[in-house]
Amino acid sequence: MTVTFQLNGEDCRFDGDPMTPLVDILRQERFLTGTKAVCREGFCGACTVHVDDEAVPSCLKPVGLVHGCAVTTIEGMSSGNQALHPLQVNFEAADAVQCGMCFPGMVMSLSAFVRDNPHASRPEIKAAMVGNICRCTGYERIVDAVAECLDQARKAGQLVGGIHV
Amino acid sequence: MATSVGRLFTAASTIEEAMAARRQGAAVLAGGTWMMRDPRRGVDLPEAVVALHRIPALSKVEIGSDHVVIGAAVTHAVLGRELHGAAGFEGLVAAAEGAANPGIRRVATVGGNLCALDFAAADLAPVLLVCEATVELETFKGPKLLGISDFLKDRHTLLAEAIVTRIHLRRDLVASAHIRLPLRKAGDYPVAIVALGVDKDKRCRIAVGSVEPVARRWTALEQAMRAGPASALDPERAAELALEHNDFQGRDGKEAEGWYRRQVLPPLVKRGVAALLKTGGLA
Ligand SMILES: Cc1cc2nc3c(=O)[nH]c(=O)nc-3n(C[C@H](O)[C@H](O)[C@H](O)COP(=O)(O)OP(=O)(O)OC[C@H]3O[C@@H](n4cnc5c(N)ncnc54)[C@H](O)[C@@H]3O)c2cc1C
Ligand code: FES
Ligand code: FES
Repeated sequence: MTVTFQLNGEDCRFDGDPMTPLVDILRQERFLTGTKAVCREGFCGACTVHVDDEAVPSCLKPVGLVHGCAVTTIEGMSSGNQALHPLQVNFEAADAVQCGMCFPGMVMSLSAFVRDNPHASRPEIKAAMVGNICRCTGYERIVDAVAECLDQARKAGQLVGGIHV
Repeated sequence: MATSVGRLFTAASTIEEAMAARRQGAAVLAGGTWMMRDPRRGVDLPEAVVALHRIPALSKVEIGSDHVVIGAAVTHAVLGRELHGAAGFEGLVAAAEGAANPGIRRVATVGGNLCALDFAAADLAPVLLVCEATVELETFKGPKLLGISDFLKDRHTLLAEAIVTRIHLRRDLVASAHIRLPLRKAGDYPVAIVALGVDKDKRCRIAVGSVEPVARRWTALEQAMRAGPASALDPERAAELALEHNDFQGRDGKEAEGWYRRQVLPPLVKRGVAALLKTGGLA
């Protein structure tokens, strides 16, 4: 079957088994290895991408279901010479990243969250992260960085990923 | 309709197209969060699938003054959002917002939750039992309506020739609650689930999921609570009655042994009644 979709803003065509998990196409066919395949069971969140702006696990997404959709991976959040997403800036500033395995998924889940929840409280940030497992950081620094990102945007009256906060 | 060669993949745009593919042997694909893990359970993915996500009639929640209709392809996230604040549906909202994790909830559907055969821990099952939901199926012989309890019991046979299309709910509960016990705060299947609802006559409905292989109403406890004074809606008293009328045979499983699932029910009932009393309908 031929599946076509937008991948980081460009046309993408896949010919093959429509039940192939999206993560495998991203990594093995498109060499977009920022998206990690860790548990392959929907539990860890390392494979999170945006499909039509929603953060979803790509390990359980048969590619046939993304026909006609827009897929964004961590590589699509910012290319090498562009400014980083404000959340990435805050993760870097807070030195929140350790081994980095979970972070592409964290950024994809939480960037959609900050876009949709500009006034989120700390418990709400934590609730949004329950599907993203990190084995290194103990989470608090990540929560700090997300809270700081929202705070900065509120103070500056800016947009985080398109929504006015 | 898009159909592939090799593995057959049909993205149906109507129920009729989906049924035509079913008749040719295609398995239903909803969000895929259950089916995509089949290979890990040693089960091959189906040779032919029919996806429901492009059928508009199955992807909406219709809220009327005395009736709610939920399309089978509605996701947990949409269900929680659409019913938020609807009196009497607090339990259903809690189930939709508490199951799995946010990424899965954006994908996993109501139909998939009820049709994943041999899945004992489905969060929506007990709360839909309490709502006395009616399941609408499209079968090879035409449409069929069935009480949720019968559907859950017979789904192995029923689903061989059917698609679940909609869930119908009456709006006759004034308050409801959904209490789940996972081993960790998130990410696990619940060890046990207790759903409770109270109707306009203050009659309590209670259902339990994840303790036995199939969720069911706790009629012995419902009767005991009805036999007592209205003060049976006291959390402590309800827990005592739950202990006395515990007729569940716990199933052994990866997360917990059967005796434990059974034993946690009275405290969950206590929490459930306390949650009911806090809802707008009873406060
Ligand atoms: C990480 C993780 C955590 C989870 N935690 C929970 C949890 O806490 N609580 C919980 O309840 N569940 C949990 N689940 C299970 C999840 O809820 C189910 O996987 C989900 O509801 C299935 O829905 P789906 O749309 O993805 O179904 P699919 O995987 O597409 O389908 C599941 C089955 O149902 C059949 N089917 C689907 N729709 C229909 C229909 N309309 N008519 C006929 N047959 C149909 C399919 O053929 C298939 O056999 C979890 C899953 C994951 C991956
Ligand atoms: S690899 Fe997809 S959730 Fe873990
Ligand atoms: S930084 Fe190592 S897993 Fe999160």
